[in-house]
Amino acid sequence: MFPFVRRRMYTSALPLVIVLLGVFLLARLTGDPTNLYLPESATEAQRAAFAEKNGFDQPILTQLIDYFKGVLHFDFGTSLRTGESASDMALRAFPATLQLAVTTMILAIVGAVIIGCWAAYRPNSLADRFSSLLSMTAASIPDFWFAITGVWLFAVLLGVLPTSGTDGALSWILPIATLMIRPLGVLTQVVRGAMVSALSAPYVRLARSKGASDFRVVSHHALRNAAAPALTVAGDLAVGLINGAVVVEAIFGWPGIGKLMIDAILQRDFAVLQAAVLLTAVSIFVLNIAIDACYALLDARVREPAKV
Amino acid sequence: MSPAPRITTRRRALAVAIAGITVAATGCTVANSGHGGYDPNTLRIVLSQEPPTLEPCESSLTSTGIVVRSNITEPLIEREPDTGELQPLLSTGWRQTSPTEWTFDIRKGVTFSDGSPFTATDAAFAIDRAVNSELQCNVDGYVFGDEKLKLSAPNDTTLTVGTESPDPILPLRISFVEIVPRTTSTTEKVREPIGTGPYAIADWEYGQKLTLARNDRYWGAKPTFARAEYQWRSEGSVRAAMITNDETDIAVGLGPEDGAGALGVPFQNNETTALRMQAGEAPLNDIRVRQAINYSVNRTGIVKALFRGLGEPASQLIPKGVVGYNDQLALWPHDTEKAKQLVAEAKAAGVPVDRQIRLIGRTAQFPKISETIEVLQSEFTEIGLNVKIEMMDTAGQLQYQLRPFPENAGPYVLMIMHGNQAGDAAFTMDQYMLSNGPQSAYGTADFDRQIRAAEALTGQARQDAFAKLFAEEPQQIMQMAYIAHMKGILGKSPRVEYTPNSATGDEMRLSEMTVAQTARTDQS
Repeated sequence: MFPFVRRRMYTSALPLVIVLLGVFLLARLTGDPTNLYLPESATEAQRAAFAEKNGFDQPILTQLIDYFKGVLHFDFGTSLRTGESASDMALRAFPATLQLAVTTMILAIVGAVIIGCWAAYRPNSLADRFSSLLSMTAASIPDFWFAITGVWLFAVLLGVLPTSGTDGALSWILPIATLMIRPLGVLTQVVRGAMVSALSAPYVRLARSKGASDFRVVSHHALRNAAAPALTVAGDLAVGLINGAVVVEAIFGWPGIGKLMIDAILQRDFAVLQAAVLLTAVSIFVLNIAIDACYALLDARVREPAKV
Repeated sequence: MSPAPRITTRRRALAVAIAGITVAATGCTVANSGHGGYDPNTLRIVLSQEPPTLEPCESSLTSTGIVVRSNITEPLIEREPDTGELQPLLSTGWRQTSPTEWTFDIRKGVTFSDGSPFTATDAAFAIDRAVNSELQCNVDGYVFGDEKLKLSAPNDTTLTVGTESPDPILPLRISFVEIVPRTTSTTEKVREPIGTGPYAIADWEYGQKLTLARNDRYWGAKPTFARAEYQWRSEGSVRAAMITNDETDIAVGLGPEDGAGALGVPFQNNETTALRMQAGEAPLNDIRVRQAINYSVNRTGIVKALFRGLGEPASQLIPKGVVGYNDQLALWPHDTEKAKQLVAEAKAAGVPVDRQIRLIGRTAQFPKISETIEVLQSEFTEIGLNVKIEMMDTAGQLQYQLRPFPENAGPYVLMIMHGNQAGDAAFTMDQYMLSNGPQSAYGTADFDRQIRAAEALTGQARQDAFAKLFAEEPQQIMQMAYIAHMKGILGKSPRVEYTPNSATGDEMRLSEMTVAQTARTDQS
């Protein structure tokens, strides 16, 4: 198991460097931050001093080398906007996103398994069609629209939930519902499809013939074999959530990494953007390794290279 | 018992443990929740963004100034928002003691919120720090440019400020400098400053909320609310929903469609929208084409249909209340036929009117900007011009707004929104009307001389000279097509008494907010 994880870590290092390089270069292609940070009436001398102080007057290669030197020393630079350490800002924002993402994924997986199994147990029944309609609708709803409609309905019209913020358990409901709706829809369809296939497999028929209960057949025999495709899709969806639930964070005032990255992009706050992307990329690599490790646990062919 | 059930049991236990940890983690965050009511002694405000810093020398940044100015720190002199008149604050009087020197009398009996006394030495330190230091303060670039000041405090109640050349509006410039104690760092900007204002910072949970508490040492009248709590939401409709849902008392930066309803209070801000024409490039280098563009703009229709009346059609780049405003200047007429005729004349004279002109706008610069840009494109196309829309984010648009302009960019018309916070036309003229102004695309040496002459004047002569220049600019240069003096909407809870003014967007004085006579006080 450990050689497998080590192998995956080695192969992840190169993509990580490429991501950092890409973000560094692309961010600088989007324009000079000087105009954003100095007043419109700033003189040429003041603009030059700003560029010099922040190293923007240096050739791009020099800036890149300085940046990678800093990364090796865990120095990710200082925010142009706030004057704070960029890594502190990213590390402060990340747990908020992680909490939201983990809670959302757990609820989405549990919901998808229940609805998907229920629908697959009686294919083409009314329940199956109803759940398919629900899951397809959920997978298709734009999260921005869902969030704003949710605020209007539950906060303004009914007055049962707060509009936004992080104060109180009730304030979690709308952000999680908004984030969950798409993963729930997609995962339900995947679980249903995999379960329909699994429930018609010979080993399920064998289990039934041996007198296993319906619950045991579904939960112990079919679901375990249907887990692999669901795990793949859940992994992709989780990556999307960790990558920044930008819309949800912006609308609900959630102080997470997605909002931080968007602000950093709009403000050309390169150090913060790079720190946030690096942290997110590392998390995604860790998540991918965890997912691969799960595969490896499930399937020995993944764990060990084929021997000729 | 077979091994399989034991593994299953372990897995179940693991799953339960993971779920438990997650719930506990989320629970920790929400454990200290305070939702469900409010403290009547706390004023709740929602902004459109978190202040990046509360450094006082950055208070000409809107997102910083709206919290800091006159709340945490104070200047020596304050500007009356609607008239631009200067009023005493930490300075009780000022006079020009020589052509290049002004003297300020410093108020006695003032202390900073940390208990240290305020004297002329602090005033000299704060101005020196903001203007002469290497901190690269925003207020330095915004108000003082390259000018260096000589500061001295001969005694605790007297401050003298020397300038390199005569400066008739130095007190106005000084009104932009927020005063901090002499112990403030001169090598680094401070995020959480000490000041003499009616409030002091109590707590700042970065990313979530900022709380100010009443400064019990304040020298002036005690403000009504004991605490002020700022939150921030980037979405205007959510800010409006917070007002209607009684989650906040004040919501800034609302648009007409955000849904605040009767709780949205319109007010005249100091912003003016206009199109700046890059007059150095054909076909915009022909004044007939620039005039045609002006004739084609239906300002009244845009204000009525798109802005829903939240604005006034503009004939100049500054609104009423700013020194230099010309109240006799009529709107440029909307006359499509005349515009077509001018374009045809230019075409007959060999001007390449078919050349594509870029119409550049900044996304979300003001409500309905996209629709406004589309209407303008339609109007310009109707008169025979070839116009293509380009919407950009702030950084992208600023490249076209500020010198040095991009090379080989071709002809473009740029939507700008100018806010004259200073209350004097000199700040507008220097930027937009001088031929080499940082935001000016065109001008003449003769007009530059007239601007410089006006800037040297004081009193009524200064007002008259600037007003005359605003009237003459369209005749001589016509770099702009003015659209509207804008209005903002402030969301306001019925429990709060407050009248927004033209400076509210930049400087929202908490001490002016009181409990409304009809307010409920039974919430807790």
